[in-house]
Amino acid sequence: MRRFTLEDLARYDGKDGQPAYIAYGGRVYDVSESFLWQGGRHQVLHDAGTDLTAALDQAPHGEDLLERFPIVGLLIGSEEGP
Amino acid sequence: MAKVTREVVERAGVDVDQLLELLIKNAAAELTTYYYYTILRVNLIGLEGEGIKEIAEAARIEDRNHFEALVPRIYELGGSLPADMKAFHDISACPPASLPEDPTDVKALLKVLVEAERCAVRGYTQICNMTFGKDHRTYDLALAILHEEIQHESWFSEFLGEGPSGHFLRRGETSPFVRKFLE
Repeated sequence: MRRFTLEDLARYDGKDGQPAYIAYGGRVYDVSESFLWQGGRHQVLHDAGTDLTAALDQAPHGEDLLERFPIVGLLIGSEEGP
Repeated sequence: MAKVTREVVERAGVDVDQLLELLIKNAAAELTTYYYYTILRVNLIGLEGEGIKEIAEAARIEDRNHFEALVPRIYELGGSLPADMKAFHDISACPPASLPEDPTDVKALLKVLVEAERCAVRGYTQICNMTFGKDHRTYDLALAILHEEIQHESWFSEFLGEGPSGHFLRRGETSPFVRKFLE
């Protein structure tokens, strides 16, 4: 499985035709197909291309919603990652 | 815009532009849901569907009420609705509650309905969290809407076999929580 640094991840911000990837718990998810991630933004507060592990603790939903999206890689250097 | 209204919210530490974007996106979700629920309700027919039609109708009317209740707060805070209805649809805080491929599949219709309500519950929880103790009027409004969205979710989830919610159908008028915000 592909390994991403934070710098790699930042390129997949969902803007200018780029896919929208986000990291959570050391895994990298492709959320490009989600209506809720149009333009690489989610509910005004969150941007694609970033590690949202800490942010999800404050979100009004759990990690179960991420299960709907394909995992495209692992985040290097994440506390919970590889 | 209500100048002092906005100032006090800003001074309390709320990013008003961010809040406005959320309010507008949720207003879009309410109005588009009202539209999509109209189509879902029309298709709730037959022995299974008729039993759900009444609550779908109550949720539909209440979602329209939520839109109506949100609009004054958006303008008070200095925001505005997009001039383009198509753009408004596309910035919705929730995905379109589209008719499933097989409109005779009542369970599939229920899943669309419950997912829409769950999205709304998450959205208003976020606004409540953002405004609690800081923007009393938006908090009060978002909480009132949240009460009704939670009831909607409960109604539909019961029909999906997720267990009893303890809620009853509306008896009498719609929007018992949001009514005070309707002008």
